[in-house]
Amino acid sequence: MSDDEMNIDDGGVVRRKGRGFQSGAGVNEAGVTSEQKYDRVESSHAAETRAARSVEGWIVLVTNVHEEASEEDVQDKFAEFGEIKNLHLNLDRRTGYVKGYALVEYETMGEAQAAIDGASGTTLLEQTLQCDYAFVRPPPTGPKKGRGGREGRGRSASPSRRRGGD
Amino acid sequence: MSSYENDPFYLRYYTGHSGKHGHEFLEFEYSHGRLRYANNSNYRNDSLIRKEMWVGPLVVKELKRIIESSDITKEDDAHWPKKDIVGKQELEIRIGNDHIAFETAKIGSLMAIQDSEDPEGLRVFYYLVQDLRCFIFSLISLHFKIKPI
Repeated sequence: MSDDEMNIDDGGVVRRKGRGFQSGAGVNEAGVTSEQKYDRVESSHAAETRAARSVEGWIVLVTNVHEEASEEDVQDKFAEFGEIKNLHLNLDRRTGYVKGYALVEYETMGEAQAAIDGASGTTLLEQTLQCDYAFVRPPPTGPKKGRGGREGRGRSASPSRRRGGD
Repeated sequence: MSSYENDPFYLRYYTGHSGKHGHEFLEFEYSHGRLRYANNSNYRNDSLIRKEMWVGPLVVKELKRIIESSDITKEDDAHWPKKDIVGKQELEIRIGNDHIAFETAKIGSLMAIQDSEDPEGLRVFYYLVQDLRCFIFSLISLHFKIKPI
C-alpha cells in the first residue's frame, strides 16, 4: 500500500455510490486519465511566488461574489488595480444569478498582485471577497519525496479503479 | 509541499459516444492540483485537444463549494436513464468521505429530465454539470485563449 492510499482512509469510512463503480467507467484510452501528451502554457517566469502566467496575462479568481453583483460592480472594484483585459462573471445555470465567482485578467503580474493584495478581505455588496491567482506553476518534476509515487506510476486508470479498498 | 497533494478530492466528468465519426468525447478531470481537459471531435477532421493546467487553492475551494452546495452526493443514479446508443455521461467525485461514480445517458432536454423516473436527482446532476463546465471552460479559455468547444 502506498502513502497515497493510506491517506485516503484517514478521514474514516468512504461511502461509495453509483453505477460507474460496476461498469468500468473511466476507461477512456484517449481521455484525461490516459498517459498522453497534454498542452500546457510553458512558464519560464522565475518569480518567487507559485503564480503562473496565462497566454495573454494573469488571471485572478475572486470568490464570495454576491449573487446580485453586476459586471459593472466587479469592473468598478477591480479596475483600480489595472486595466481589466477580460472579465468572466458566470451565472448559476439553474437560478440565473451570479454563481459566486469572477475571473479577472490583467496584463501584468504587478496589477494582478495589486488586485489580490488590495481586494482580498474587502467587501462587495456586503460580502467579503477572497482573491488569488487562478493558476500556479506545475510542481517540480524529478524524484518525489514523501509520496506514494502515483505521478511516476502514470495514470492508467481512475482512482476509483486503482484504489480497490476505499 | 502544497496541501492539496494529500487531499483526496477528485473530480472527473466524461460525456461521449462512439459513432460514424469515431469516438467523440469531452472529458475533464481535477486531481491533486492539476486540471485536465480533453475533447475529441472527428467531425470535419477536428483533432483531439488536450490541455492541462495547475490551479491554485482558491480554484479548488470554489470547485468544492459548487459541488457541496449542489448536494450531489445525496443523489443516486440507480433510477437514471441508462447509457444508450446516443452516448453516456460519467461523473466521478471524491469529496470528504463521499465517493460517487454516476453514469447515465446524455440528457437532450429539460423535458427528458421531467419525464425520467428521478427528475429531482437528475436535475441536480444536470445543473451541477452545467456549472462545472461553465467554470472550467472559463478557466481554459482565459488560460489558453481558445474556445474549448
